[in-house]
Amino acid sequence: MNRRTFLRRGLLGGAVLLLGGGGLALYPTRDTVVATRALQVLTPRSFQVLAAIARRVVAVPDVDPAAVAHAADDSLTRLPPEAQADVNALIGLFETALGGLVLDGRLRPFTRLGPDEQDHVLARWRDSGLALRRTGYQVLRKLCLVAHYAQPASWASAHYPAPTPISGPYDDSKMGTPEWNLAQGLEGPP
Amino acid sequence: MSKLSLLRASPNLIDGSKAASDLELSADVCVVGSGAGGAVTAAVLAQAGLSVIVVEEGGYHDASEFTMRELEVMPKLYQEAGQRTTADLGMSILQGRAVGGTTVVNWTTSFRTPEDVVDRWAKKHHVGGFKYADLVPHYEAMEARLGIHQVSVESMNANNRKLFEGCKAMGWHAEPLRRNVVACAQTGQCGLGCPVNAKRSMLVTMIPDAMDAGARVLHRARVDKLEVQAGQVKAAYATLLDAEARGATGRRAKISARRFVLSGGAINTPAVLLRSAINENKRVGVRTFLHPVIASVAEYDEPIDPYAGAPQSAASHHFANRGDQVGVFFEAAPSYPALTAAVLPGFGEAHRKLFESVGRMALHVALTVDGFHDSSPGGVVKLRPSGAPLLDYPIPPAHWEAFRFAQKRLAELQLASGAKAVLTIHEPPCKMTRAKDVELIDTLRWETGAVAVFTAHQMGGAAMGDDAETSVVRSEDLRHHSIHNLYVIDGSVFPTSLGVNPQESIYGLAHLMANRLATVAKG
Repeated sequence: MNRRTFLRRGLLGGAVLLLGGGGLALYPTRDTVVATRALQVLTPRSFQVLAAIARRVVAVPDVDPAAVAHAADDSLTRLPPEAQADVNALIGLFETALGGLVLDGRLRPFTRLGPDEQDHVLARWRDSGLALRRTGYQVLRKLCLVAHYAQPASWASAHYPAPTPISGPYDDSKMGTPEWNLAQGLEGPP
Repeated sequence: MSKLSLLRASPNLIDGSKAASDLELSADVCVVGSGAGGAVTAAVLAQAGLSVIVVEEGGYHDASEFTMRELEVMPKLYQEAGQRTTADLGMSILQGRAVGGTTVVNWTTSFRTPEDVVDRWAKKHHVGGFKYADLVPHYEAMEARLGIHQVSVESMNANNRKLFEGCKAMGWHAEPLRRNVVACAQTGQCGLGCPVNAKRSMLVTMIPDAMDAGARVLHRARVDKLEVQAGQVKAAYATLLDAEARGATGRRAKISARRFVLSGGAINTPAVLLRSAINENKRVGVRTFLHPVIASVAEYDEPIDPYAGAPQSAASHHFANRGDQVGVFFEAAPSYPALTAAVLPGFGEAHRKLFESVGRMALHVALTVDGFHDSSPGGVVKLRPSGAPLLDYPIPPAHWEAFRFAQKRLAELQLASGAKAVLTIHEPPCKMTRAKDVELIDTLRWETGAVAVFTAHQMGGAAMGDDAETSVVRSEDLRHHSIHNLYVIDGSVFPTSLGVNPQESIYGLAHLMANRLATVAKG
């Protein structure tokens, strides 16, 4: 069973996913950010939803949800096409009001909820009895966190020390010698 | 100019992304993959005087590109930029993808295959083609070439020292590890490519050795399938990939050879066989093993700086053999920022606070030993519609039991080493501050998605054995049972997992088998 069929079979069958992927026309996804460059994997709707998720998941002052969503979009280009489609389907399912209504009793899509309600939705997926929702939560959470913390600009405010830069020359006859290590400010061999 | 600096400009290094037309190449032997199995095989065969072409899906990247930043390095050096998962999304798979394969990004831990594991393969998996004693001179040769040596207790970083001391405090066996490094500068960056060429990965050892002996390396070229005619592989067909080794350029390569060696590693070697419809007995892709991993986070009063110093220098195999139950062994894991952010549980404010305290955290892992029990059958490699591999590995109950057991032992050793608190990486995490809190672990949810599970070791999927019904290649020379010019020399031939980090097991077996192949191929 590949990941896509897993998604389809895993929850309430294809109908929910189909509607979920399309969303309820009554309550369209709320746009809160502007894409600053062309999207590669994420659909415009997925981009908005992921940015909304990033705003709750990455609780760092001045976090730029659009930048997180763009960075996630970049990393998703490395997945096989089937997995890319699954991520968009998963994000659609997360956003949808219908899935929310059936499983959580909510009427509005994720992007139209207040911050506390959004955290509640994340917690519902995290604590769900359905493996699909738990792993889906993990995928979305990690997408946002990795996209943010992979950026060197994020490290200082998180008290994460940047590694000592190496400045070449990349010459194996010199690299690793005590003199070279010393010049690089590196510890020598113990 | 040094030897390594010259490699990039060598005419024997062929960048598939730059090919202006389709390529047609031929050699005595075509080796698919350039990691622990392929690089050793290529070097031994080339040094024996055979013409060799290595075909590698990833790109050629050297220390000048190892910037110590996941953002830049992960897409270059990891399968799916580090985002590969099992089919049910239950496990994250860290696996390399570059010239040098996973050896470029592994954490340098070096073990010979335990002798009892080799004996077990003989008794239970019909591996009669070699004994442990046959491997020993080949381990010795590789240990000498790669500078493999046991590190000192004094050289351990605090993360590993806590693991080591915690095990000792509990009365459990623990040992300093052997590492394939020379003049290690303790940058801690093993997982992102050694920026100072201290790690003796295949990239800086056997690949240059092979090229010095005339081997050609075609990189950014993904082998799609092997063409089989009249019971022989005639050619390998590859898609040439762009400069990012991502999309197809529209050009292809055809490699003709007298013999073909698959060395793409577990997951990718079975995928090539499946795409080539070489799977008569339906044993390709089955029994793929991962040493599934869980983590335990310990908070200390003093700085641990888990990002500094060699990532792995201590291990405990005290519980590796648990009789009828799945065994576990303990090691440390380094903290790279994005990896750490993914491992630490939760979201929002709770996650931010955890991340900001990483400097006082130790990160220890338990690896479970799969494939030794009927209750631990491993996973199955399948193909997605696009042809990309997909590993289906639902975590069986026997491993959930082992995770629970290991989580308790990790908490005990961490508390014994002075941790003020221990966290599981459950959602939400379980926090323990006293030894009796460890019982809380039994109350946690042990099911897919409730706790993060990882793998950095991929084994099996094209098992060796002398019973053609239950294996893919025979054990005396790793030759395919029915296609007699096709060999598999990589971690996918292991009939079980190893119970130790796999790199040296692959080096030793590849060195033995490549020498046997060289003798035949020259004749």
